[in-house]
Amino acid sequence: MAEDFEPKVVAFLCRWCAGAGADLAGTSRLRYPPNAIPIRVNCSGRVDMEWVMEAFRSGADGVLIGGCHPGDCHYVSGNYKTRRRVYLLRKVLAEMGIEPERVRLEWVSATEGAKFARVMREFVSELKKLGPLHLEGAERAAEPVAARGRS
Amino acid sequence: MRGKPKLAVYWTGGCGGCDVSFLELGPALLDVLSQVEIVFWPALVDTKRADLEELPPRSITATLVNGTLRTEENVEMVRLLREKSQLVVAFGACAHLGGVPGLANLASREEILRTVTGNGFRLAPPPGGDAEDSPPELLGAARPLADEVAVDYTVPGCPPMPSLIGPFFEALLSGDLPDPGHVFAQEQALCKECPRTREDRKLTKVLRPHEALPDPQECLLDQGMICMGPVTRGGCGAACPKAGMPCTGCVGPTPEAGDPALAMIAALGSLVRAGDEGPAAFAAEDRVLDTLVDPLGTFYKYSLPVYVRARRAA
Repeated sequence: MAEDFEPKVVAFLCRWCAGAGADLAGTSRLRYPPNAIPIRVNCSGRVDMEWVMEAFRSGADGVLIGGCHPGDCHYVSGNYKTRRRVYLLRKVLAEMGIEPERVRLEWVSATEGAKFARVMREFVSELKKLGPLHLEGAERAAEPVAARGRS
Repeated sequence: MRGKPKLAVYWTGGCGGCDVSFLELGPALLDVLSQVEIVFWPALVDTKRADLEELPPRSITATLVNGTLRTEENVEMVRLLREKSQLVVAFGACAHLGGVPGLANLASREEILRTVTGNGFRLAPPPGGDAEDSPPELLGAARPLADEVAVDYTVPGCPPMPSLIGPFFEALLSGDLPDPGHVFAQEQALCKECPRTREDRKLTKVLRPHEALPDPQECLLDQGMICMGPVTRGGCGAACPKAGMPCTGCVGPTPEAGDPALAMIAALGSLVRAGDEGPAAFAAEDRVLDTLVDPLGTFYKYSLPVYVRARRAA
């Protein structure tokens, strides 16, 4: 079964660096596993950890967050905020019994198409080793998020 | 309304603190008690399940349930109470969000039984008893009241404070009830009613309450204490921060915050600093975050069963 398992990845990519890096990987025709559903965001600092959890509850086996290298953030410090949030989230995940490695934060610049392809290869291979993430009662857990009105 | 409104109060997996919390109303409690007829309240009056079964459906005006759902008997009782009641109210953090006993959901039912009772333990009837006398089976997990029955209102808190219980009884006795689903607390964060002053919005250390005597005026979060105020509903009058203790989130998260842990992660991610931001500070920032002992238990102290069903299947 492990050999057939294709992990589902949700990738939140910032539009200035990691998103452009992913585009470059594509236009350069680099080969990398097609397991990620990319979601472009304005800044890695905009990624709400709620989205990460919703991705897991919706069936993702791993979540990749791609942001600008330190010092390059278009909004100065969004990537630093996300780095600290991911650090804390991973601790919380570990306490929940979810492998923290399922959330990966990477700095990818607009010129680093090759790095993006390498990160995807590494991440998918790691997730294959971890196996699928089965969340108990996942559909019900999604309710509090969907039901709440964020005004 | 004909006759006095009929009131029932029941406890499931709780500590009894919610039953005692009514006393905090002080003299106002006498007014309340004179205006209701208590038909069922195991902590206060001698009524049994059989008495409850005899009541006609929807004959109880309001039933206040405190405690988390932990056993099969809890579930049977709240279903019975739902059938007999016009209104069912989740009273206190356990019924509202699962409460402190809900932290046990991090372990499986089997692990809990093994830890508490030792290996090889089986629930059995007492000597001379039959199967009906056995203690009720534990559920697989602790669950909030709304998981099992429709809940009309919530009076939150651990235990609910008089400032939250009072408005509920006012509404009930006047007949001027809010829309179903109403939580008798503020929609806004506790910080709005906290008298402490916020200045330096940077967190350079994490302190547990026993590690320092906080400054009486300054925001506790600014002083390094993990205060859940920014993501927690107001309504308690910021009772804990006023007394020098950080808010632990018992009234539950604001509608805007949603998941309290993820909202606190967002807040702390913005606040934590170790000198100027940048790669040179990464390791030191991590050390600051490492001093936050048990983030999961801190952020979900009262609400784990609502927000974390995400444990991996064994």
